[in-house]
Formats: sequence, C-alpha cells, structure tokens
Amino acid sequence: MSGIGDVHRILAEALAAVGSAQSRPELEAIGVKYIGRKGEITSVLKTLKDLPLEERKAFGAAANEAKVKLETAIAEAVQKFAGPALDPTFDPTLPGIVHRLGAIHPINKTMGQIVDSFQRMGFAIAKGPDIETEYYNFEGLNFPPDHPARDMQDTFYVEGGLLLRTHTTPVQVRTLEKVKPPVKCITPGKTFRNEAISTRAYYVFHQVDGFLVDEGVTMADLKGCLVAFCRDFFGEKLKLRFRPSYFPFTEPSAEVDISCFLCNGKGCQLCKFAGWLEILGCGMIDPNVLAKVGYDSEKYTGYAFGMGVERIALLKYMVKDIRLLYENDIRFIRQFL
Amino acid sequence: MNVPYSWLKELVDFSWSPEELANRLTLAGAETEAERLTDIPFDNIVIGRVEEISKVPGSDHLTLATVFDGREKLAVVCGAPNVAAGQNIILAKIGAELKGGFKIKKAKLRGVESFGMICSERELGISDDHSGIMVLEDSFSLGAPAFEAIGLDDHVLSLDLTPNRADLLSVMGVARDVACLAGSKIKYPTYMLEEVRDEAAKFIKIDIADPEACPRYAARVIRNIKIGPSPWWIKRKLLLCGIRPINNVVDITNLVMMEIGHPLHAFDYDRFLRKEILVRRAQEGEKFATLDGKEHVLTPEVLLITDGEKGVACGGVMGGQESEVSDKTTTVLLESAYFNAPTVRRSRQKLGLITEASIRFEKGCDPNAVEKALDRAAYLLGEYTGGEILNGVVDCYPNKKYPVVIKVRPERVNAVLGTDIPKSRMVEILQNIEYGIKDRGHLEVTVPTFAVDVTREIDVIEEIVRLEGYDAVPTRDKNKGPLFSPYPEDEQFCDNIRRILTAQGYDEIYSGGMADKKLLEQVSGAQPAVEILNPIADDLTVMENTILFTLLKSAGHNIAHRNVDLKLFVIGKIYKPGAPPLEEEEIGILVTGKGEDTWYNRGASLGFHDLKGAVEAFLGWNRITVKGYEPAARPALDAAESMAILGADGELGYIGAVGENIARLFDVKQKLWVAVISFNKARRGIGPVKPYQPLPKYPAAPRDLAVVVDEKVRAGELLDKISKEGGSLLESVSIFDLFRGKQIGDGKKSLAFSMVYRSPERSLEAEEVNALHQKIAESLKEGFGADIREA
Repeated sequence: MSGIGDVHRILAEALAAVGSAQSRPELEAIGVKYIGRKGEITSVLKTLKDLPLEERKAFGAAANEAKVKLETAIAEAVQKFAGPALDPTFDPTLPGIVHRLGAIHPINKTMGQIVDSFQRMGFAIAKGPDIETEYYNFEGLNFPPDHPARDMQDTFYVEGGLLLRTHTTPVQVRTLEKVKPPVKCITPGKTFRNEAISTRAYYVFHQVDGFLVDEGVTMADLKGCLVAFCRDFFGEKLKLRFRPSYFPFTEPSAEVDISCFLCNGKGCQLCKFAGWLEILGCGMIDPNVLAKVGYDSEKYTGYAFGMGVERIALLKYMVKDIRLLYENDIRFIRQFL
Repeated sequence: MNVPYSWLKELVDFSWSPEELANRLTLAGAETEAERLTDIPFDNIVIGRVEEISKVPGSDHLTLATVFDGREKLAVVCGAPNVAAGQNIILAKIGAELKGGFKIKKAKLRGVESFGMICSERELGISDDHSGIMVLEDSFSLGAPAFEAIGLDDHVLSLDLTPNRADLLSVMGVARDVACLAGSKIKYPTYMLEEVRDEAAKFIKIDIADPEACPRYAARVIRNIKIGPSPWWIKRKLLLCGIRPINNVVDITNLVMMEIGHPLHAFDYDRFLRKEILVRRAQEGEKFATLDGKEHVLTPEVLLITDGEKGVACGGVMGGQESEVSDKTTTVLLESAYFNAPTVRRSRQKLGLITEASIRFEKGCDPNAVEKALDRAAYLLGEYTGGEILNGVVDCYPNKKYPVVIKVRPERVNAVLGTDIPKSRMVEILQNIEYGIKDRGHLEVTVPTFAVDVTREIDVIEEIVRLEGYDAVPTRDKNKGPLFSPYPEDEQFCDNIRRILTAQGYDEIYSGGMADKKLLEQVSGAQPAVEILNPIADDLTVMENTILFTLLKSAGHNIAHRNVDLKLFVIGKIYKPGAPPLEEEEIGILVTGKGEDTWYNRGASLGFHDLKGAVEAFLGWNRITVKGYEPAARPALDAAESMAILGADGELGYIGAVGENIARLFDVKQKLWVAVISFNKARRGIGPVKPYQPLPKYPAAPRDLAVVVDEKVRAGELLDKISKEGGSLLESVSIFDLFRGKQIGDGKKSLAFSMVYRSPERSLEAEEVNALHQKIAESLKEGFGADIREA
C-alpha cells in the first residue's frame, strides 16, 4: 500500500522527466507512463476504494492533484515542440494534387521482374512464334511420337498441321539452330494448353524458359543459377530443394521447390502446410536435343529451366483464382500499381 | 499408383514412418503422399456376427439383426440388402464415428430400437462401395477392434508418377527403390508351382500375325477351377491398392499385376470357338464388345486378340465381354503378353479407354516379366481356386529382347553433374537397383529389362544422381556463358510504351489470344482468322486478328461490373492465317466515361482528344512522328468519327469512336473511343536521337491572338497558317482557349493562340514583332474569314 509520500515522489519523478524531454513523442510516452490507463498515478487512484474513508479523502485529493499538475506540465511542454501557427485557410490535410497513374498488368509486371533478374545474370532474350510446328514443340525436344509424355501437355491444333505452343521451350531449339555456343538465353512468352478452365488453370499462360549451352556446363551450375534467381526474386533467406522429375528435353531433370516465403517453411495455408512451394522445372539438356541441332553433345553440355509466370504471380500476390488475371477487371489490375 | 505401406514392409526391411518414407520417395523422383487408408477413428468399431434376422414391421427394406459382439447381443437395424444370419460383419457400436463424421447413437427406426450399425465399405471410409454391408471370413475373433483385426489399420502411399517411371507401376518396383534407399534387399516371395501331367500346348496354340505390335504372347491353362470370393488377404491388398475385389480369378490377376507390374488377363477357355490365339490387327469395321459392356467398331489401329475366328480381347487394353470369366467358368486361359507401347497407346485412344493394363503397357512393360507373372498367378490360382495347372507355358516370343548394355564413364558422370561421386558408390547404387556391373575401367552396365527408359549413359547418370540425392550436387555460383547480352529494342519499346501510358493514367489489360468466331467477324469486318481445330469452349474458337477485340471485351466486362470510367491499353499479339501464319503485335488504347472528380477539378468526359494525347505522348516519347490524321472508314468504327493515324512512312493505325452496333455486341451502351497502332510500323518509325539545341541567347517576345471563325474551320488549319506566315521568327504557337457561346454567335467558335517570337541572332524590336503578328492576323482574316478579337 502506497502512502501520500509515494504520490509526491512519483509526481516529482514525472515532472523531472517532463523537464528533460526532447520531443513530443517523448512527452506522450511520459503521459502514458504516469497518467495513462495503466499509468502509475492512475493505478494509485484505483487502490483508493480499499482505504478507510478519512485516508481515502486525503489520499485521493493528493493523487488527483498530482494528476492535474502533470497534465498541465505536459501540455505546457508540448508547446515547446509545436511548429508555427498555421493560416486557417491553408489546409494541408486536403489530398495532394496528382495525376492518377495507370497500373501494369500483374502478368507483365511479374514477367518483367523475372526477365530483369536473368538479364542481370547475362541472359539474352529470345522469342519465337506462338503458332508452332509439331517439330519445334515436340520432336525437336525429344518428345517421341506416340509417347505418354505427349499427354503431359494438352495441345490446341490449328490448320496447316500447326499447333499453339504448349511451352516456350521451342525457342530453345530455334535459337540453338541459329547460333554457336556459348549461348545463354531466356525465352519469355505466351503458351497455350487445352485444359479445363478452373481456379488453378487457364487455357493461356506465360512461361519464362531459359538455357545455357557451353563447354563444361554442369548441374552444379544449374543449381547456382537458380539459387541466385530465387533469392533475388523471393528473398535472401530462401531455401531451395531440388527433386528428381521428368521432362523429355532434359536429363537429369528436377523440380525446384522453395521454402515458403510466407511462413519460412513452417507450414501455412499458402504452402498447404508442406513448407515448400513448387516453383519451376529444370535439368541438363538431353543429349538428343543437342544432337538434333547439330551440337556435339560430348563437347557441349547445357542446362535449361522453365517457370510459369502466372503461378509465380499467384503465389507472390496470394491470388486464389487464376481467372482474375484474365478478366481485365480494373479493380483488380489497379492493385498492381 | 497406390502402394500399401504394409505391403512394402513385407518386402523390404526399413524403419521409416509412412510420412518419412513418402518424403524419401519424393526426393528420389516420385512425388509421394502417405495417408491413412481411412480417416475415421477406430473406437467402438468391432468384429461382430449376425445371429439372426427378422423383418422390421412396416418396412420393405429394413432388417432387424441380432448381432453378437463377443460379449453381448445387440439389436441392430440394417438397411443393406445382403445382410444374412451367420455373417461375420463389422459393427459400429454406439459412440463410433463413421465416414463423414456420422456418429452412431441409440436410434429408433419404425419403432424398433437399434444399438449400432453394420457397416459398408464406404461407411468405413475404405472404398466407395455402398452396395451392401461388408461380409468377412469367419476367422476373425468376435469383439476384436475391427481395423486391426482385418489389417486395414494401414497407410497408403500415393505416388504421382512421371511418364518415365514405368518401373514404379508395381509394389515390387517401389520396393526396389525403397530397398536401395534403405540399403537393404527385397525379400521376393517364394513358391513352388505344381503342374499336372497334361501339356498346356495340347490345349492352345499361339500365333502372332504382327510381331512388332505384340513381340511376345504367352499363356497357361488352368482347369477345374472353382470361381468364388478371394481369401481376405487378397481382398485386403486390393482394397488397400484401391482395386475392387471381384472373384478369385480376376482378383489374382489384379494382385499379380500390382505385385509385379505385369498386366494379365484370364479368359474363359470354353468360350473360345477355336482353341487357339491369333494376335492380329482388327479389320476396318470389325465389331467388338469389351467387358465393360461397350460395343466398339474397330479399325486396324486396334490390336485384336482372337481365337482364330473372333476377337476375345483388345491387346493390352481390355478383354472381351463374351470370353469374360463368369461364375460358370471352369477352365481359364491365362494370358501374359508383351505389347508394344505405341500400339497400345493408339488402341486405347481409338477405343477411348484407359485401363490399369493400358497405363502399364503404354509406359512400357518388361517383356521378360511375362513368365514370372504367369507363374505367380498360376500358382495362386492353384492355391485359391482349386485349379489344376496344366504342364508348361505356351510361349510365342519371336524376337527375344535382351538387356541393354551401356558404357558408363565415371568421370563423365561427375562432369555432367559437377559432383565428386566415387566410382565405388556408383557401382553400389546401380547394384542396389539390380543393374549388372562389370568394371573395365569404365563401367559396363547391364540394364535390367524392367528399366525400360534407361538406354543411354545419360539415363544411367540420372539413376545415379536420383538415388544419391540431388543434395549431393553442389551449388556453383560462378557465372558461365557470355559476358554481356544486349536488351532487345523491341523490349525497350514495349517498356517505354508501358512507362508512358501508365504515367498518363492508362491501366494495362491483357489479351488471351482467342475469340468467339462470330463476334470477331463483326469486329474485324470478316477478316480471316486462324481457326482452332479443337477449341476448349464455344466462345474461344479462333485466334484474335485484331487487338480491338480485347479492348471491347474488357470494356464490356468492366462496364458490366460498373467500372464505367476507363482508360485502358494493351500490347498484344494478333494472328492472321497464312503459311506460316502471320503474328504481330498491336497496341490498343481505349477511353470511355469521364475523368476522376477531385476537390480541385471536375472530371471531364473522356473522348477523342484524350486518346489523341495518349497516342502522341507515347509515340512522341519514342521519337515517332505523327504527321496527321485523315478520315478513313474501319469496320468497327463509326464512319463519322474514324481516322487513320499517319506516320512518316504511311499509316500507323487508326483512331475513332466504336460503332454503336458493335459496342452493343459487348453489352456496352456508352461511347467508346479506341486507337489501334501496329507495333512494327510504329517501331520502324522510331527516329534517331537528336543532338541538343543551344539555349536561346536573345529574349523572347510573347503575343496572343484571339480569332472568331466558322465552326467548320479546323484549328489545325489555323495553326498551319500561323506557322507558315510566322516563318523563322515564330518560335512556337499553342492554343490556350476554345470558346463557343451566344456572344460570338451560332455556328462560330473563338480560338486563342499564344505565340512566342524570337531570333537566334539578335533582339527583336517591338515594331518588327507587331508587324509580323499583324500580318499573321491578316492572313487568318483573308484565308479563313476570321474575325480578329484581340491581337
């Protein structure tokens, strides 16, 4: 149980603090500490009800007085830090005058960021047609005819024996046909798959594929490149996991998972409590692919990787329905300023 | 592929939990999840026996069963059609919780009290079967906790297989990887096959007319079999694998397929017209009914197994209805064949069927597993159907497939992977998955025929790194490849367009590339479009041939959602038929509605001049000249407000108001203004970077000029005239006011110009400027009948 002496001591301490305060926030903190809802003087006042009537009167008066004194002292001290008085017709709280800026579509925005990251690592940009031949989309990439690998990519066909490319990897073949190693490219672009439209799949999507062919390129180089990209794009502390997988045009092939950037791998809604997010596919370019474009696959090796731009955008912005990306609703697009 | 955890435990010694095992398999190349067979709690679910049954009065389907649970008799009302006295069943007692959270409580049905429930497989969460209650063998002790007693207290591993892992389409195949990862060996089941003296070859003759499609066909004959239910251990394994038990013969063929991975088929031998097998292509139009009851009209793409007269099975896909094993079957012809993968793929595509057999053959089976599967199944048929196995396998194997031998250079393995794996470790890994190895400096690797995808050194490298773990590959952070890669000019142009238009307040939309054919025809004026032969939806049948379509569709979507004030742009591909088809990019811009209301400004209605400003801003910023605009009709535009945009070398695109009838197609009633510009034409117009102009040394002389002219006089004409008359001393001219009103009369407008005069060589005298300014004013009076208000 505190006595009146305690109230005086607390007040003296508080006034000293007010005297030496150097800023408004400091003064506000002093207010909270002593006369806030759980402040020291406030607490003293709360104990009054337990006291005999006489003591309660005297003690209550002292504590109340201390509270008022401190409030006044703080109010005075605040004046020291106030700026000059404003002209009443000058209202700085009206919104600033601004020409509203437009937003870049989240697909292009995400793609731009991915491309930029690889550009800084020295990858050139190569492009190819959306309407492709069977050869560049499949055969040239070591998809044998009548092989179940064809079922991995449901294909749209158009007249003239052509198809809508199911990945941007055909550009790899087109590029390798034209140039001599070393060659280091990414191939961003639009791709199409004849899959039922749902919250997770749409008939059109975008990929950024990339590849490097040179003498002495190893799987360790592939890992280095992708670790660099994922950390650049998703954050320094990210962990990566390489799992064996299968693509006809790479061998060995891998899927790359990153530790969930939302929960740091602890498990959350975003990563479906796995702690990992599947982010891209990669591998060493299959010798058959190199041989088809006339490279000596004993001398040259290469790696390739590919990622879905939409998948990355959905993860990054935590969008649950891929269709939002294609509706062109400005209420959605304007969130990506 | 579903693999029971307990089955793997039978075959391999390992100590991992189901979850840990799933993780190990995932990291070795097969994405695996482990789940309990059922998610219901096991409490209060016991083995019981139906002692007696009676009808529930007033119900045509309810039965009152007296069930003994080992301690007491309980009255249980049951709705299943197959309940009968003497059955061992699974009883959910009061307090149990079944699939879907269904809680068992004391209940009253038609006035009869019930103290539990006799369960179907679906209610227990172990399959979808709800046709009746689950009836057990008599061997389980009454009252025992049911799941443990019958061995369904188990986990199932579901493996999501990539097309190259045909070797994992069996429990044995998965066990092989598990053994390698755990450093142990598979315990193969052992058995003794007992054959009777009669030779199978006397009962069946095999001929293959197309040995490429069917390189091997082997069969056994088993007679005096008795069709019946399988023993529980077989049913249990099938249930765990997600396969419905049917009868002992069919179950055994399925069990062996799951165990070894080789599909088998059992025929009712007595249904064969001729006692032979002829494997041939189907004839065009040949009819055949598969055992699922479907009638097919075949083509030669389908490989048909015949009895020399008629079809009995579609090779590698499904058996025929007529020769299907039935309750009356006594002699079984057991097929174990090897079909070529592309043949089975084409057959099943033609038939529109995907079966457990077709999945395996299509991914690639092991021709040398034919006999092993046949013997194993024959043994089990002998054990569990009472059948007699005739002597010998009738085997037609014209071209034997031998294991592939591959030269593997350990240094090459490390060179591709960037690793330092010792040769001895490579040997160990490969031997663990049953590869034969001879060390001859390099490794001579004999690949077992079940590893159908391993044919080259690189395939072996993949096997090594897969099983060593990808963590064994270091992360090398040295940059490789060219030092520098330029940023393409097209990309720069795109970036610049985006930069300028977003700065002007335009939101970027996205073009999906496909359109509704009829709608696109109206928008494009029936321009040809690339048609999609297998469209995904009725409104996505052609490729977009004008970006205008995306603009209109997006405006329609937004306006329908009450986003009526829009400033949109898109850079998107358009496609035109040709050989090869033409693909090019277009830049589309659209405005409609009005600008934003703010405290300092009322938003004005958006129209042509906003659009013109945006077009000139992004073109100008990219040093692309716009020479002017001239009226030009476009199919989707209102002819009165439709113009071509002219660049230095011809048309860049067009700009104008969308025709009302076209806007209506997209449910839009408000006025839409659009501009469409060819990316390539604009890009070709990009001018050189100009050298800097020295800053002026002499003062400027500003003057204003306001004139009233007829409405029909265009501002541009006046500007041109002013520039021409002003000559080299007129530095700039701009319009700072436009006014229409009663004061100046109907059909008139007032335009105010702000001019700046300056000479680069000297200070201009006031008189000189005034004279020139006056001369300009006079020229407007003469040329356009302008009334000079202020000069």
